[in-house]
Amino acid sequence: METFDLLMSGFATAATPSNLMWAFLGCALGTAIGVLPGLGPAVTVAMLLPITAQVEPTGSLIFFVGIYLGAMYGGSTTSILLNTPGETGTMVTALEGFKMAKSGRAGAALATSAIGSFVAGTIAIVLLTLFAPAVADWAVELGPPEYFTLMLLAFVTVSTVLGKSALRGLTALFLGLALGLVGMDQITGQVRYTGGVLEFMDGIEVVLVAVGLFAVAEAIYNAMYEGRSTSTMNRLTRVRMNRSEWKRSWPAWLRGAGMGFPFGTIPAGGTEIPTFLSYATERKLVAPQHRAEFGSTGAIEGVAGPEAANNAAATGTLVPLLALGIPTSVTTAVLLTALQNYGLNPGPQLFQTSEALVWALIASLYIGNVMLLLLNLPLIRLWVKLLLVPKPMLYAGIMVFATVGVYGMRQSAFDLFLMFAVGMLGVLMRRFDFPVAPVIVGLILGPLAEAQLRNALSIGEGNWSVFIERPLSLALLVIVLLVLITPRWLAWRRRA
Amino acid sequence: MTQPTESPQVPQPAHSAHSSHSVTLQVLLSLGVIGVAALLAYGATQIPSEAGYAGIGPNFLPWVVAAALLLCGGLLLRQALTGGFQDLDEASGAARADWHAWAWVSAGVLANAALIEHIGFVLSCALCFMLAVRGLRLAAGKPGGGLMGLLRDAAIGLLLAAPVYWLFAQLLAVNLPGLTDTGWI
Repeated sequence: METFDLLMSGFATAATPSNLMWAFLGCALGTAIGVLPGLGPAVTVAMLLPITAQVEPTGSLIFFVGIYLGAMYGGSTTSILLNTPGETGTMVTALEGFKMAKSGRAGAALATSAIGSFVAGTIAIVLLTLFAPAVADWAVELGPPEYFTLMLLAFVTVSTVLGKSALRGLTALFLGLALGLVGMDQITGQVRYTGGVLEFMDGIEVVLVAVGLFAVAEAIYNAMYEGRSTSTMNRLTRVRMNRSEWKRSWPAWLRGAGMGFPFGTIPAGGTEIPTFLSYATERKLVAPQHRAEFGSTGAIEGVAGPEAANNAAATGTLVPLLALGIPTSVTTAVLLTALQNYGLNPGPQLFQTSEALVWALIASLYIGNVMLLLLNLPLIRLWVKLLLVPKPMLYAGIMVFATVGVYGMRQSAFDLFLMFAVGMLGVLMRRFDFPVAPVIVGLILGPLAEAQLRNALSIGEGNWSVFIERPLSLALLVIVLLVLITPRWLAWRRRA
Repeated sequence: MTQPTESPQVPQPAHSAHSSHSVTLQVLLSLGVIGVAALLAYGATQIPSEAGYAGIGPNFLPWVVAAALLLCGGLLLRQALTGGFQDLDEASGAARADWHAWAWVSAGVLANAALIEHIGFVLSCALCFMLAVRGLRLAAGKPGGGLMGLLRDAAIGLLLAAPVYWLFAQLLAVNLPGLTDTGWI
């Protein structure tokens, strides 16, 4: 029961008053930004990264993870009441949730999504507790060739599986990789693409790109295109479920958790696929007498399943982050930056070198999940009040926080100009349906992948065959090819 | 992937006047990607290739990325010229951009970048807030009402920026520029 002892010592660290305060602040702030349109967990954590200069690592990471989990809870509220999903993961919740709210069952929809998130989140955290150390133990054996091919898989799935068009996804990925090239090369110290600009020597900050692509782009996009868009809010009813709603919800929660966690842990781009999959499953499995509710008055299974899948997948993405050092979503990419700011390198060694921190983080996930349930069920009316902030004030206010995050990182006004340029890139990408997640993942993972590639080739004395001589890296390469080729082959067969 | 039959966004008529369907804009965008690729390739020629044991040097990935972007840009250009980008989801909002509102918000962000080191975080951010909120309100068709409106927005901007400054600069020791050395403004 080594794991159990470690977890208990984690609880001891996480339950100190200051760490509990960080967890609470994170959960509350996360719920708030989840409810507010225009901000997601990734950009919020990005804007707050400068605090890593002052706050000790355990506290700030507990804070950041609290924001991540809280945003998942808060996001469903907006989906259900306003039909404006803030995050891709809650898009499916909006399908049935908004219809339920429209037919006067907003309370039941909010209850099933909060309790379902708690149930699925807890299941996922238990699985994380059991699996992450095992994955880390196994990952110690991996060499640079395996790491490189794993990262290749992350690149390919993030950019081709999620969006409508693999071409636009790959374009976004390579733009991110190009941004990651700027600055000093990690291995030889060779300066690349600085154009003589001093500010480029240290590379382009992930924070800057995340804040530019999400916060600034969102504000500018709103001014340019969304000024006349209006949304009507559904009436909030009492947040509770009756007996039949409980009975219909819990199998959906369990199935959602079962689908979400594995999808979160493999590099397959996080929460989108499992939520759609869970929706489709619930639609198929629903009892005949409730079948008509799907797509008309709103079926509770269609909220319970995807919400559970969303939360379990979000927790699952922490496994590859902590155990392998490979981020598979935008938020985990930003969390990786937070760890790097402390000089911590996520990956198998993290479980040995920073044991206390990792287990405190895992313990704080349990604590945060309980906090979120308490914050969300009785206090939901309070959070909904946030939606009364007029949109112009909200987006203009976000600019102030964007300045803190970007300027506070390096104290350079040049970065603020660059942030504007990245913001305009974000507007273009959103307008022409280019996914932005691959940019962030490419930017942060690119330099790491390059280092692994060159180390791998050093091992192979310059021979590329090193990638096919080792069984695991060969297997991963085959998977990468399958991910790239299968959809095209299927489309070609359908046409033929 | 299983797509639900209904999209959560309000469906819009196919081939509307939505600006993302413009052939000209799509061509320009594709040329932009090709331009970035060319820039990367030019830069790559300046990077030495000494490879050491690895057999590939610091100029290897730059060449790969340049080539890949060139290919992506070329394929995008072909799509743009032959019926437009494939599987394009129309982005939400109006069909055309409101450049007036864009100018106000951009002016806010750029003024902030230009002034922050001269007039300090609080004043610079309040100005940014004032300009941005004006643009966003203009976009919503509710202009901000003359001098009084402007002053009100400036006051709200100050009320927001000052506590943020105190919180981050005093409590969390984030290095933000002030007008004075007092740490309060």
